[in-house]
Amino acid sequence: MTSNALSDRLESIVGERFVLRRESDLLVYNSDGLPGYRRMPRLAVFPGSREETIDVVRALAEDGTAFVPRGAGTGLSGGALADDVVLLGLHRLKRVISIDQENLRATVEPGVVNLRLNRTVAPFSLLYAPDPSSEAACTIGGNVAENAGGPHCLKYGVTLNHVISINAILPDGEIVTLGNPAGETPGFDLRGAFIGSEGCFGVALDVTVRLTRKPVAIRTMLADFMSVDDAAHVTSRIVASGIVPAALEFMDGPTIQVVESSVYAAGYPADAAAVLLIELDGIPEGVDADRDTVREICMSGGARTVTVARNDTERARLWQGRKKAFGAMGRMAPHLVVQDAVIPRTRLAEVLQRITAIGEENRLTVCNVFHAGDGNLHPNIPYNADDRDEAERVHRAMGQIMRACVEVGGSISGEHGVGLDKLGYIELIFSPESLGAMCSLREVFDPLRRANPGKVVPIHACQEWRAAPGAR
Amino acid sequence: MTAAAPVNPFVDLVLDAVELKTPLRVTGRAHWVDAGRPVEATRIASVAAHAGVVDYVPGDLTITVRGGTTLNEIHRITAAEGQQFPLDPAGPGDGTIGATIATGSFGPLAHSFGQARDLVLGVEFVTGDGKLVRGGGRVVKNVAGFDLVRLVTGSWGTIGIVTEATLRLYSVPAASVTLAMTVPDQAVLLAQRVGSILNGPLTPLRTELVSGGVASMLGLPRRHALLVELAGNSASVAAQKDSLARLAGVTEIPSGVWDRLRSIEADVAARGLPIVLRISCLPSRVPQLWTSLAGIESGFDGALVHSTPALGIIRCILPGNASLASMSGFAAGMPDVTIIYERLPAAMWRDLSPGVVSDRLSRGIMKAFDPHRILNPGILGPAS
Repeated sequence: MTSNALSDRLESIVGERFVLRRESDLLVYNSDGLPGYRRMPRLAVFPGSREETIDVVRALAEDGTAFVPRGAGTGLSGGALADDVVLLGLHRLKRVISIDQENLRATVEPGVVNLRLNRTVAPFSLLYAPDPSSEAACTIGGNVAENAGGPHCLKYGVTLNHVISINAILPDGEIVTLGNPAGETPGFDLRGAFIGSEGCFGVALDVTVRLTRKPVAIRTMLADFMSVDDAAHVTSRIVASGIVPAALEFMDGPTIQVVESSVYAAGYPADAAAVLLIELDGIPEGVDADRDTVREICMSGGARTVTVARNDTERARLWQGRKKAFGAMGRMAPHLVVQDAVIPRTRLAEVLQRITAIGEENRLTVCNVFHAGDGNLHPNIPYNADDRDEAERVHRAMGQIMRACVEVGGSISGEHGVGLDKLGYIELIFSPESLGAMCSLREVFDPLRRANPGKVVPIHACQEWRAAPGAR
Repeated sequence: MTAAAPVNPFVDLVLDAVELKTPLRVTGRAHWVDAGRPVEATRIASVAAHAGVVDYVPGDLTITVRGGTTLNEIHRITAAEGQQFPLDPAGPGDGTIGATIATGSFGPLAHSFGQARDLVLGVEFVTGDGKLVRGGGRVVKNVAGFDLVRLVTGSWGTIGIVTEATLRLYSVPAASVTLAMTVPDQAVLLAQRVGSILNGPLTPLRTELVSGGVASMLGLPRRHALLVELAGNSASVAAQKDSLARLAGVTEIPSGVWDRLRSIEADVAARGLPIVLRISCLPSRVPQLWTSLAGIESGFDGALVHSTPALGIIRCILPGNASLASMSGFAAGMPDVTIIYERLPAAMWRDLSPGVVSDRLSRGIMKAFDPHRILNPGILGPAS
């Protein structure tokens, strides 16, 4: 089918307004949350219902056209970019289908935004635990595709631990139920395989998630340090103490300064080398005892002050600085590269030293803001992509940081996914046989590799794929 | 606490089996070889001897062990550091981690810590065509690549032989207490009781309903009981214990009941292999189902029932000589729940649970990872 014939067909399903084919209209979809990558879709289609989604996926299957599913486009790995293929946007599927308070679950369409789900269930004293920093914009479907995390995943677990079942349409148009909304599923954990498959295995039509009871007591604390090393060691000591904080976040000096000079200023001490944002939750008697223990660990580990939020307003303010830190970095330079790697928690201090050295070697400012309790680093570098020399130094530094994390036994991504950005690093941690096994799994879900082609596992890692159609 | 990595012996074992066309029965300590669907295999591939710690850094709260390492051994090593691998599946503690992952086994602690799928961070396994594959990693958070860890967990050895795993550990709580409460006879009252424990401000570590027969094996009075373990810092445990005592009469009992609960099936098996099944449903259905099921102790002589209400699980241990007709009748009486048979006489599988891999995706996965049907063929049902 020609491009025009295909877009006519798609328009007949979703209506003229919801198919974009002009380059000027498509421009807004040529990047995601990581602005360093630009890829222009051939056309974009936005179904408004489950039925339209099914019809669109089947029309694409009949036509043999590759496509990229996309939620809100807040991803940070270039995973939702469509390079001259069809972009399938799912943000219009935003119905909360049902809430089961008694069994702590909700069934939602993939385009439901995290924050909206949380606002919907809040009157029942419930919450959906995974809380990516983009929670005000990102969608549950995108969370499933990326196996999204967030600060509170330290205690509550990531998307994988909170999804009960998924109804999905496979790239060939078959509709499948993965998992069981009302109990166990004997046989393979197909739901587990689908979560984190970065849009390569199919499109979720609805997702049943586990809800969590809101804790009765929350204590949010800020500890500030004059040394990054001290803050890193205190992190390790809190983790080893047996207390599982709801969140344990780290921000370094450059991050604190840019947050404090922005509209998101949270009252962090601007001269500190690092702050830890620590949240404890549970029953009042328990969290107060843990708060005292954590305060003691911080103070004996070199903290200058430890302050505890006295009310919800103060708590929200402390969190605002953390959650908007990436946005605040926009003040420093026109572009930002956001990195995502995981290291063993006992290696935090030495890896942070190494990252600082890498930044200095390459004459770059690295802003570290990350989920310290999980060892999930986010070294970010503000830069000007139009300055070729600087862009090259950024690229080199990122590669060096990745290697430093892998060398201590870490992983190349904790929550942002591989997408396009990490394709070059995945062979650092997986053997050809392991990557081959991943290719085999993908092929079960999508034998023609039409869903999100060219992402996650490099084509050359899949021997049998090299000559196959769709290999680019 | 590390050891040099030996060459993985299972690659050659599998390649030999492929060449000789001799399917393998993959086992750990062989506790469950008489459970599960009949396997058409002539050779045993046991991971039991492939044991030991590969890497353990207590500060990271992770441990990497070989597939044959027993749960008891993991418990011993981690307890010395004040840590635990919080999985308490039914069965003897000398079961291997490889088998635990392969069977996706879990117990009442899953309410607080999740199931095997939630606690395994990385795996190494040998596929049915002799490839040595790794999924996941050694850190606590990881989304790099497609998720082979979840694929292997609960696959009953059909995707690959689990030869190594990295596990998430937790600290042993500073304080804990186990309490027993009486169980109301009426479903409505039971629902209120369970609801006030699970849905209130309390955060119990594990909660289990046990029938009179089970209670008696645990050394408790022979009547239905609700067991609750509270854990945390001492202030939290004391406050929660007070709250619980205000709900109903509670008796403090030894924490050893939790280990005893895991072994009741083995005690029964000593007198003849039982039939074991678990019913999986929405948690809200448990009180009503429990009220009707707890009566089967009189219907099936020697039957035992226990339930994890938070997980929507009711587990029944029935006499091994129950007839097919009575088992079919049992299942027919609960048409809208999922029944997972753990142990059945070989002849009954075909009638009660012929297979769980009839869908296109499952068949595709089996074909991709075990193209020659070498690994536990038949254990999940016919592949075609």
